[in-house]
Parts: sequence; structure tokens; C-alpha cells
Amino acid sequence: MEPGPIPTFQPRLKVLNRRQALAIHTAALEILEKTGIKMEHAEGLDMLAGAGGTVFDKDWIRLPAYLAEEALRSAPRQITLYDQLGNEAMPLVDENPFYGTGSDTTFTLDLETGERRRCTLSDTGNFAKLVDGLENISFAMSMGNPEDVSNVDYIYVYAFAEMVKNTNKPIVFIADRGEDIAKIYEIACMVAGGEDQLRQKPFLLNYSEAISPLRFPSQVMDRLIFCARKGIPICLPSGSNAGGGAPITLAGAMAMGIAENLVGLIVHQLAAKGAPFLFGPNVSALDMKSAVVSYGCPEWSLTQAALADMRDEIYGLPIWSFAGASDSKVVDAQAGAEAMFSIITAMLSRCNLIHDNGYIEYGSTSSLEMVTIANELVAMANFFTRGIPVNETTLALDALERVKNAGPQSFFLMDDHTFENFEQALFLPKLLDRSRYDSWEAEGSKDLYTRSNEEAKRILSEHQVTPKDDGVLKEIDDLLKAL
Amino acid sequence: MSYQTLLDAVIKGDFKTAKEETLKAVDAGQNAQNILDQGLIGAMNIVGDKFSKGAIFVPQMLRSAKTMQECVEVLKPYFQENAMTTKGNIVLGTVKGDLHDIGKNLVGMMLEGAGFNVIDLGVDVAPEVFVNKIKESKADLLGMSALLSTTMPSMTQTIKTLMDSGQRDDVKVIIGGAPVTRKFAEDIGADSYAPDAGAAVNEIKKLLNIT
Repeated sequence: MEPGPIPTFQPRLKVLNRRQALAIHTAALEILEKTGIKMEHAEGLDMLAGAGGTVFDKDWIRLPAYLAEEALRSAPRQITLYDQLGNEAMPLVDENPFYGTGSDTTFTLDLETGERRRCTLSDTGNFAKLVDGLENISFAMSMGNPEDVSNVDYIYVYAFAEMVKNTNKPIVFIADRGEDIAKIYEIACMVAGGEDQLRQKPFLLNYSEAISPLRFPSQVMDRLIFCARKGIPICLPSGSNAGGGAPITLAGAMAMGIAENLVGLIVHQLAAKGAPFLFGPNVSALDMKSAVVSYGCPEWSLTQAALADMRDEIYGLPIWSFAGASDSKVVDAQAGAEAMFSIITAMLSRCNLIHDNGYIEYGSTSSLEMVTIANELVAMANFFTRGIPVNETTLALDALERVKNAGPQSFFLMDDHTFENFEQALFLPKLLDRSRYDSWEAEGSKDLYTRSNEEAKRILSEHQVTPKDDGVLKEIDDLLKAL
Repeated sequence: MSYQTLLDAVIKGDFKTAKEETLKAVDAGQNAQNILDQGLIGAMNIVGDKFSKGAIFVPQMLRSAKTMQECVEVLKPYFQENAMTTKGNIVLGTVKGDLHDIGKNLVGMMLEGAGFNVIDLGVDVAPEVFVNKIKESKADLLGMSALLSTTMPSMTQTIKTLMDSGQRDDVKVIIGGAPVTRKFAEDIGADSYAPDAGAAVNEIKKLLNIT
């Protein structure tokens, strides 16, 4: 019998045991059954009551645990996002990680001046184009709330259209209410070639949030139900941040966030059984001095790693997560340290859709430099997580014999085996600098912020985005003009 | 009489001792308003200062504020009817369309600690609701909060409604929230802006000429 090739173990971070996972899940169910939630959407409340929930205090409702278990069973275990050209791009399932940017920042770092300024529509376009040109960034988000839109009621429609014009990668988008999400859906159908085509090969995912603790506003539910019925993948993480909307202790914050997420899932599956739902809350922590929701803290990395373990033990649905962000106000060592911490742990714990790469200032400011750095850090994390393949080629005993026989001046750098294997065997950095001091100095003594700024500029000027059909672009512009 | 033990108890967040010390001061013949101003608000001024400098954490600051509020309740019966004076009336709220309130709640608690009477209208507050409450409470100051940049126009609308009602000159307006900037405050005709709860209290004291 031939034993076959040695499988490569791929490093995996586990942070929770089965008992912990079950206890947190049980607590989440208890919150649904005993504490209840506030469903401010009339149809949502009716659906839940009709399915077995018990209404109290006007719009509060307690839900039996079986509703959650049924919804978990009927939601699809795999959500495949396609690119805008119809190619499979992001199979969100099991242990597949995909990194992307974030939405909604108020400010951005100006690429020319370094100034922190309000975002414009062209910034959203630039971030989309940068994502399009970065090999390790898989999806685009708006990276800003543009202040120069003609009709602020439709701000998210303009942002979505701008992303569509500047990238072909999948898009995770925000909407405000039924009206604007319908417009965004129209644009998406124009790109895909029709409603059925979009349903078969969705290139977009909606990001909506319930409000912790326990609150489900009407507009949020409108969007959830719309997405369910149209088959648009959606996530509904609440901001169940420790010390803010959620208990300060992480297990309790997770239980509450999961309970809230289960409510979204239940309504979603009641609206359209089998529709795609990306699972998971945002469980970060409030800073205990500034009261900001922290984007650089180890707590969030820990809770999402725990959520990934719970996915594997219990839920079986792909999860929403974050990485590559910082609380620093500038792209400095803190930004690098915090981004690396979350990027490597998200991959090691096998989070699926990993957003917010490129955020600084706890999500208030976006940075093209930071996205570019994140791209490199993801590559580094990728290399580590691939593991060490062990086979005849990698054990290299022949090469060793050859070098030994070639005499005292011989070493591995010049050997054929090195030439043939170095690109797969090692991590080859592009942005992280390892040059000798004198040549680094001769190049201008540039730090990482400067180098990533230059690289972002280069990509924006050189990268070609495959253009959309003129007819489609005109349709989109006509829709925007009519807003 | 030295209020040092009372001050220390409020600063530490020791409910029991603080309430005992409050009653001791009353028994010693101290004037209720004096105990409030020197003992309780005095303690919160120290707490507010420490908090602004990052020397204490939010939960500790809030604990002190809660201690102070418990002592105010203990003290209330010893005021003549309507005789307790506060530093002023403040109407607070998160604007229409916005449901976020952690920051606003922090501002409210710190303002109460500083001796103001705070009327918190909650979230999703329509312009007319703000304006009616300002009239009814004869408010000295309006504080508006927004977390979503898409709800900031409600701030502009509220100021307009305030102007239309003829009350704009009678009340100071301060705004805050994650997407709000000083420039935006200037553009819409607000009197001031603050980036966080600690700064808000200081700004408000300045606006209302209170030391």
C-alpha cells in the first residue's frame, strides 16, 4: 500500500472549546426566550409572532429556541459571491478567508497632502480602483460618506454606483431604507444583466446593523426583508460592543450579539427560506477612557476567533468579521501593529468575510496607504498559514548532496534547486523593505507610510479596470440623474 | 466645615459614606445649597478634571456621578420648595433619524454632575419636539448629537425651526457626535461644538459663563 503525499498542516488558531461554545450559544437562546427583543417593524413582529413568538409590552417579543435552530438549519452553508463579470470570486464557506475594505468613514487621508479631510465621491472611486488592483484584497466598500452628492437622501446609491464604475470585484454596500436599497438593486441588475442573473451570481452583499441592546428598527428590517426576498446576500451584525451596547465581559457580549444576530436570521429565513445570510455580530469593546468603539483592540480579534470556533462547532454558516484597522490617527507604528494583529489572527482563526482593512482613527478615517499596507500584511499572513509542505523537493536532500560535492566555495544561493523553488518556498515582500542601509538611504530613506503612499498612487495611475459596457454605464447615470 | 470626607467619598464612588457625610453636613447646620455646590458639584468638578486628563476611566467617572446623584436625592428634602438652584436648564437629544445615544448619555450624566438640570429627550428627536421643550423648560442651552453623517441635516433643520419660533437668541446651541466637525457647527449657525463628553462640559460652562 502506498501512503500518498504527506498532507500539509495549515496553522489554525482555536480559542474556544466545545463547552464554552455551547454555553455561549445556550445563553444566546436564553436571551431570546426569557429577555426578548424589541422588533420595531410591524411585519417583522407579525412574522415572529406567527411563527411562535410571544409579544409583550407592545413591540417586545420572546422567541422560542427552536426558531433559531430552524433558521440556522435552513440558511445555506455556502454563500458564493461573484465578481461583476460573472466569475466566481469569493466562496464564503468553511475556512475560506477574504479581505476587503470598509464603509462609512467621515474622513479620509488625502493622497497628495496627507491632510485628514471630508470624503468625496471620487475618494470612493479611488478606493474601489485600488481594491481592483490589489491582489490580496477581494472586495470593495465605500471607504467614505461622500459630502458632495447631489441628493443626500440617496448618498448610498451614489456611493454604490461609484464603486461599480471603478472595480469589477464584489461589493459590500450600505443602504438606509427600502427606497435607496431598491435603487441599488436596480443598478446591480443592470450590471448583472437582470434579476435572475443577479440572483444566480450575486456580486454584492448588504451590511446592515441592529442596535444593541436588543433593538430592531423598522428601516433596518425593511432592508433585511428586501434582501431576503431578492436573494441578495446580507449580514446583520449589531454593534454589540463590550461596555457599550453589550456587557463588559466578552462571553456576555458575544451571547447578546449572537442572540441579536439570530433574530435577524430568523426573520430573514421566515421572509425567504434558504436565502443567503452571513452570520455574526461585531463584538468589539468600548475604550474605557474615550468611549470610542475600538478598531485596534485585541478583544475584537478574540471574539471573532471565538465566533469562528462556534461556526465550526455549531452554526455552520460563513461569518462576518474585520481586520486591518487601527485606532491610531495616523499611519504609524500603532497602525501597523494593530492591523497586523487582526489580519493574522483573522486568517489563523479562519474568518470568512473580513472587512475594514484600511481604517484608521477607529473607523472615522480611511487611508489608501493603509489598504496598500494591509494587502502586503495579508500576503505575509497567507504565507504563514499555508504551512510547510514536506516532500522530496522540499526536503532537498539531493540539492544538499550536490552543494556538498561542489566544494568549499559552493552555497545554496547559486544552486539550481534554489532558482527553481525560491518563489514558492519564500515570502517575497514588495512593500516591506529589507534593503541594505546605504541603498535605502540612497532611495530617499523612505518609511512604510511614504512607500505605501507612492504605491497607492502608482496603482491608481497605472491599473486598468476592465470597463463596463457603455450601455450599462448610461443606464446607471440615467438612474442617478433621476434621483 | 470641611467637606473633604464627602468629596473623597463622591470621588471614590462610595455611596454609603457619601450619603452619610451629606446628612452629617445637614445635621451640622450647613446650608443645603452650599453642600450641593461645595461638596457635591465641587467633587464632580475634580472628577471631571481627572477624566478630561485621562486619569480615570469612564465607569469610575459614572460611578462618581451616580454617587453625587444619590446624595442630591438625600439632600432634596432639605431645600425649601423650588429653592434648589441649578447651574441652568439644558435640553439634550439625538436628532431625528438617528438612534445612537451613548455619547449623548455620557454628556448628560457629566452635566448633571456639574450641577445642571438636564432634560434628555432621547433619540430620533424631531425639530419641533426640541423647540417645544426648550420653550416649556426655559432652557439655557440645546445640545444635539448625531452619529450618522446622513442625519446631520436634522441639526440644520432644528436650528431653523428654533429661529422660526423666535427663540434662537434665548438659547445657546452646541452640537457633537462622530461625524460632526467644528466647521459644520459654524456653517449651520450653532454656537459651539465639542469632540467628546469632557470637552462638552467645559464648552457649555464657557457658553453659559459659568466657572
